[in-house]
Parts: sequence; structure tokens; C-alpha cells
Amino acid sequence: MPVTHYLVLSSLLFTIGGIGFLVRRNVLVTLMSIELMLNAVNLTLLAFNASHPESHTGQMFAFFLIAAEAAEVAVGLAIVLALFRIRRTVRSDEADLLKN
Amino acid sequence: MKLLESLFPSNDFSLIAVILGMPLLGAFINGIWGRRLGKPAVKMMTLTAVGVSFIASLIAFLLLDHAAHGGEHSHTRLYFTAWEWMHTNGGRAGSVVNIDLKFSIDALNGVMMLIVTGVGFLIHLYATSYMENDPGYHRFFAYLNLFIFSMLVLILGDNLPVLFVGWEGVGLCSYLLIGFWYEHMPNAAAGKKAFIANRIGDFGLICAMFLLVHYTGALDWTGIQNNASILADNPADAYQIHLWPLGGGQYQGFFKFLQPTAPITISAATAVGLALLLGCAGKSAQIPLYVWLPDAMAGPTPVSALIHAATMVTAGIYLVCRLSFVFVLSPFVMTTVLCVGAATALLAATIALVQNDIKKVLAYSTVSQLGFMFMGVGAGAFTAGFFHVLTHAFFKACLFLGAGSVIHAMHARIHDDVKSQDMRYMGGLKKYMPYTYWTFFVSTLAIAGCPLLSGFFSKDEILYRAYVNHSISPVAAKMAARHIAIWQQPEWIGKAVYAVGIITAAMTAFYMFRCFFLTFHGSFRGWAIGRGSGLTPAHGVKVLPKDEEHDAHGHDAHDDHDDDHGHHHEEDLTVPGPAPHESPLPMTVPLLILAAFAAFAGLLNPAPLTKHLPLEHWLEPVFEEATKAGVKVAETAEHLEYPLMVPGVLAFLIGLGLAYAVYVKAEGKPAQRWAEAVPRLHRAAYNKWYVDEFYEATILSAVDALAETAAAFDQWFVDGILAKLSSLVVAALGTVLRTFQTGVVHVYAAAMVVGIAVISWFFVAPHAQVSTTPSPNGDYVVTAAPGMGYSYRWDADGNGEPDKPEFTDQTSVKVHLDPGKELKVKLEVTNAFGRHATVEVPLNRPAAQNPMELGSN
Repeated sequence: MPVTHYLVLSSLLFTIGGIGFLVRRNVLVTLMSIELMLNAVNLTLLAFNASHPESHTGQMFAFFLIAAEAAEVAVGLAIVLALFRIRRTVRSDEADLLKN
Repeated sequence: MKLLESLFPSNDFSLIAVILGMPLLGAFINGIWGRRLGKPAVKMMTLTAVGVSFIASLIAFLLLDHAAHGGEHSHTRLYFTAWEWMHTNGGRAGSVVNIDLKFSIDALNGVMMLIVTGVGFLIHLYATSYMENDPGYHRFFAYLNLFIFSMLVLILGDNLPVLFVGWEGVGLCSYLLIGFWYEHMPNAAAGKKAFIANRIGDFGLICAMFLLVHYTGALDWTGIQNNASILADNPADAYQIHLWPLGGGQYQGFFKFLQPTAPITISAATAVGLALLLGCAGKSAQIPLYVWLPDAMAGPTPVSALIHAATMVTAGIYLVCRLSFVFVLSPFVMTTVLCVGAATALLAATIALVQNDIKKVLAYSTVSQLGFMFMGVGAGAFTAGFFHVLTHAFFKACLFLGAGSVIHAMHARIHDDVKSQDMRYMGGLKKYMPYTYWTFFVSTLAIAGCPLLSGFFSKDEILYRAYVNHSISPVAAKMAARHIAIWQQPEWIGKAVYAVGIITAAMTAFYMFRCFFLTFHGSFRGWAIGRGSGLTPAHGVKVLPKDEEHDAHGHDAHDDHDDDHGHHHEEDLTVPGPAPHESPLPMTVPLLILAAFAAFAGLLNPAPLTKHLPLEHWLEPVFEEATKAGVKVAETAEHLEYPLMVPGVLAFLIGLGLAYAVYVKAEGKPAQRWAEAVPRLHRAAYNKWYVDEFYEATILSAVDALAETAAAFDQWFVDGILAKLSSLVVAALGTVLRTFQTGVVHVYAAAMVVGIAVISWFFVAPHAQVSTTPSPNGDYVVTAAPGMGYSYRWDADGNGEPDKPEFTDQTSVKVHLDPGKELKVKLEVTNAFGRHATVEVPLNRPAAQNPMELGSN
């Protein structure tokens, strides 16, 4: 299967994730959108790796990304919980404490 | 002795390390751990440090004596080099100046060392009792030990930079100790004043150091001495310092009227001497820098004793003695020293006549006595001047400690810092404190010049020498042969100084006995203070218990200042407090020892009695060359010795008699009448001739004005324009940017997306850029800027068609142009995304206008 198919799928996934991140206000959905984008990147990396089987760079980067995602989710969920405790909401447009 | 000599060879005399190290160790331990060690340990440490230092000094002195006698009357020195400090190129070509952390002991500083550690030890012993209840006990003794250390560095240093380290050290310690009770504003101010006045003197010393290293190429004593003659001996322009015109230049044009017909110059010797004198005047409190010393009595009394007697103020005299061979090179400097000394002695004595504060009288008396010492060294009688340093150390230490004892007693009664030092509230203390009375009496006799006591011998010697000695330039004859005139000391100056000295001596006797009679004779006037002061007891019921507490407190425990006690004793003074009492043993024992020395130290150099003069003989090698070269003794001197003594003795008798008549017989009434007869004169003397106010009005206000100008510039220009304006711009920008800061994550994310898009576009679109390097022969190298995944297609011949049809890695082309031709080089770039960009570079070579010039390139 040519790498192009993977890339098309990956860019679709990334676009969905990006749009979701930009338009949805629920922090949990936002986080999921981020996951989607990251996985799109993972898919790209693996696809390239599959077309260059002599090197494992793509796989390695994918592993690193998965580790980074896990850490990000841990921190992100903690922030979401903290936000919920303070504001009683999970809507990100109501979390504007950084304003001014 | 043999063993000691083998232990401490004269070129590696490590005993000096012990002498110096112990006080430093004491200061270190007390300073760092003193608070936790507790008072007995602090006391132990501080006394051991100075005590061991004193014993080591004694041993060193004995060894020095031994070595000096072995070497047949030569200038013997024992050296100790701690470590090499620095090397620098000397002023003279090729010479290297070694500045080591090197110490040496010779006859002069051997005696000084004994005074500093010996008298220092007694003062330490006294202070352990005097400061008993002070909360800063350990801090005090750390400073005190550091003071001794600094002074030892000052006197034992073998070169000027090491001396300067000690010089600054005593300056620092005096600042710390004068301002010891730093919570009390006047004390802190006095400390600051001492510090600043001393800095002015230090400026002089630094200048002298620069000049010395420039001219003599050495900074250690032996080196300076070996090369000193060059300072006065060389008439070359380089050894003259131009006072006018500045730097020896020529004024041209409009400023021509400033050009003198003959340049005004001084010799290097005079310049060095004057700079040194400024340094000495600062440390030894001479006109014009004496103003700090009287205020220096603000610190605890043992400190005053230490500063005024054993250390610090004698540093200036020591330096003059040390560098006597430089001073004698210039009669002008010697005369200046003489006159400054005489003027200081007289001025300070007039102020001391009318002071009421017992410590102030003693402080001005110190300034006056220092004037005497300067008179001595200024007359070229270095031994006499130094002898007065020695005797003064004993009697002034005794007097200050005696005054401390009196204040201690008074303070126990009234707990008021100012009033307990005021002689108007004293009187009749003879009955209550016999030890203090007798020791104070002996020291007063000594300082007033009572025949056969130490002060008499040293003062008499100075006055006699001032009369018969005459400073001459060692190179006058040589210079005369070259038709160069050298300023000579007029004949009458010595006699005038002698007269001033006699008047001052009479004043000294008067004010010292005034102080003595007011304090110890008559009836005790201290009962009057507190009682009937109009203060009603705030806690009337408690009067009795508090009084008892006061009594108990007053007898064994109190310090010089009261602020830390938390209870104020003025309240319960409706009932007379306890009577003044004698001080405890650790305070009276030093008094007795010092009084004994004050009485008998004169026997070290009893010039009028015998021709056997131990001190003179001992110091002879140090001053021999200087006095031989620069001092002429009148031929009639032999016959004048006894006649010149008569006015001195008369001055003592007149001063004593007058003081007795006024303050004992008439109980001070004539003094009051005189003060009322000439109120303005009295007030002027009481206010120290308004010298402080004069400085305030002239120098200080000028400095203040300068400071205000600088502050205004800072406020208006730096703050107003540079700081405020730029912050305003930033703030305005911030206001604009703040509207974009919504705090909503999505907006930021969208901005990020836009940003990423822009950056991506930058990377996706290729950028064709070239740089051109021409060379004179008409070759032009055109280089393309690199980029990710770029490949290039060139059109170097300018025909509109690419040189090669495909894109390649070739990043530069080289073309040749003839003069006056032009060419368009075209570059096409494509990147990994297959996008293209194009740039055209017009090249043109100008026609050769000057072939010669071009060819020369």
C-alpha cells in the first residue's frame, strides 16, 4: 500500500483533531482532540518508517510521542480537575483567569 | 637565647607571625563564635590573644636587642616574609618592584610593638570589667583584637603597601569601635566622621606611595632609603613637580596670560613629604584633619584609651619617624610639619581649657600632645618625638582609663550618659575612689610636665630641640653649585615654635589640673542631679524596692550606656542614689601599672639628668643618617639645655598654681567671672572655634551642592527621560497588546495555528537570495543563500536561457566582466515541494578611471 494513503488518513485525522481543538469548548473534548492530532502524527511517523524499513527512527519517535502523550494527559487531567474545583465548569472559555 | 636564635633566624623571623596571628585569631573566634561561647570564654580568648602577643613581642624584643649588639651598632632588622604579594614594574625603566607581605622588626617598631601589645593588654584587661554588662560583649572584643592586629600590621609591615593594609585596618576598626553603640545617633555619626576624615589622609598616603614608587622604584624601607636621595638630588625636569603651569605645559593664545615668567616647581622630595604629611595628619589628627579625634571619644572609654594612646593616632608619628630619611630631604616639609604641630598643639589646648566633658578635655589634650610630637619630629628630633609617643601612651591611657573609672562610678549613680561625663557634676571623688584618684593624679602630673615624671622629660626634650635644631637641605650645597636655590628654614621659626610650645605647656598644665580638681576635689556635686529635677516618680509605690534594685545593680553591674536595660533610672532619683564607688580590681590594676609607667618611663631618656640615654642610644641607628644629613644643631645648644628648661618648669608651675587658685581656692568662681567677661570668646572656644561649622559651610556645602546637582540630573534626566519615557512607551504598547490577551485558550490556539501557517508558508516558499563578491581584476563570484532542499539553476551569461536545463547543487558561479561592461545574472531556486523562485543580480564594473591606482591594488 503506498504511503500516500496513510498520509491522507493522517492529515484527515489531524484536521479533525485541529478543528475539534479550535471549536469545542469542553476541556475534555479539547484534550481528546489533542490526542487525535498526536495520533495522526504517530501514524505519519509509522507510515514513513514502514516505507523505510531499514531504519527505526519513526518507530522510536512514535514511542517517545506516546510517552509524552501519557505525561500530557496526566498533567492535563489534573489541570481540568483543578479547574473544575475552582470554577465548577469544564468549559474552557470560562477559564479566563489568565486575562490581562 | 641560643635556642631562640636558632629557632627564629633573622631572615625568617616567624615569631612575628605569632605576634600578629594571635590577635587575629582572637578577633576571628570572638567574632564568629563569641555569642555562643559566653562571656568567660570571650574574656579568656581576648586576654590570651593579646597576652601571648605581648609575651612574643617581649621575646622578639630581647632577640632584637641581642642581634643589635652582636652587629655593632648597625641598623638591625629581623625579617619575616609571609608570602609574595605582587610584582610590578617600577617607575624607572626595567626595574621590578617586589611587594611582598613582609614584616620586619627594628629598633623603632620594636618599641612600638611593645607599647601596642603591652598597653593594649592592660586596656583589654580593663575593658573585660568595664564592658561587663554590654550586650555586644563578644563583638566589642572581636573589634578590639582586630584593632590590635591592624595596628601591628601597620607598624611591623616592611613596606608601604603592607603598612597601608594596617593603616586602613585601624581606620576600619576605629570606625567600628567609635560607632560601637550604633543605635545611638551621635556615636554612629562620630564613627562616620572618623572614617571620612581618615579617608582624606589616606588619599595623601596613596599619592605618596605612587610618587615614591615612581621616583625611587621601591616601596620597602630599605629600598626607599637606598634611593631616597634621588628625590632631592636630581634637578632634572622629571624630578620636579610643576605646580604652575600644570604639568609644565605652555599656555597658548587667549590663555597666554596664565603663563608664568618662570615655572613654579617643587622638588619630588617636597611633594612626597607633603603627601605623606597629609596622610599622617589624617591619622594623627593634625590641622586640618584633627576634627575626628575629639568626637572619637564617643565610643566606649577603653576604645578611647586605645585609640588615643596606644594605637591609631600614633601611626602618623610612626610613619614620619619611619620615613624620616624622606622628610629631611626637604626643609620646607620639615618646617611645615613643625608649624602644623605647633598650631595643632596650641589650638587644641585652647579648646581643652573650657570643655566640661571629662573625656572631651582628654580628647583635645590628645590632639594637643600629638601636636607636640609633630613639633618634635618636625624639628628633626625624631627620638624626642617618638619618646613623647611612648610616654604619652602610658599617661594618656591611664588618664582615659581613669576617666572611664570615674564615669563608671558616676554612671552607677545617675545612669545618664551625658551627665555622668560632665565634670560639673563631679567633685570630691577623691574620697570615694582612692586608686583612681592617685593614678589620675600621677598621670596628670606627668602630662602637665611635672619635673622628673615621664611627660616632663619628653616634652622638655621636644621644646629644647625645637629651639636649637634647624632643618637644612642635605643637598643645598650641591644645588647651590648648580645655581639652584632651595627654600631654607628661617632662623626665627624654631624660636617661635618654642614659645608656642611653652604657652601650650602652661595651658596643658592648667586644663589638666582644672580637670583633675573639678573631678576629684571639693565636694561631690553629683548629689544635685536627679534630686529636685521636677520629675515625679511614675511608680510612687515602688520607689523603695526599685531603689534597692538600683543600689544592687549600681554596685556591681552596669555599663556605659543604659539603653539596653529597659528601665530608666531618672524616675527614682527623688531619693539620692548610692555614692560613687571605686571600680573593681580588673579596672584598678591596669590603672596602677600604667601610672607607674607614667611616672618612671621618663627614665628611658632623662636628657637633662644624665648623658646616659637608653632610648636615644637604642634608636640612634634608625635616625642616624636622617639627622646627620638634614638637621643642624645650634653650636650653643650645650649651654642652652638648662636655661631652656626653666620656662618649661615655670609653665607647669603657673598652670598648676592658676588651676589650684581658681578651682580649689575659689571653687571655680573666677572661671565663671572670666567666662562672663568675655562671653563671645568663651563661647567660641567652647564650640571649638567653630571649625566644624566652618568645614560644614565650606567643604561640606560644596560637596552637598555637587551631590544635589548629581541627584537632580539623576532624577530629571536619567529617571525622567531615560527611565520614565521608555517605560511609558512600553506601557502604551502593553495597553494595546493587553486587549488581545483574552485568557481564552481557543483564541490563543487559533493565533498559534495562524502563526504556524505563516511559518510553514515561509518554509514552503523558496527564497532566492544571492550575495556578490567582487574582486579588483573583474571577477565576480555570485553565491546563492542556502536553504532546506534547495536546488539551483543559473543563468550566468545573461542570455535569458538557463546555462543547464536541470536544477543542480551548484551554489555559486563566477563571471568575469571587462571594465565598463554590465551583466545580469539570474538564479532560479526550487525546493523540495517543487516551488520556484527567481532573482536577478545586475553586475556592472565601472570603467577604469585611474589605472595606476587600480594596478597598485
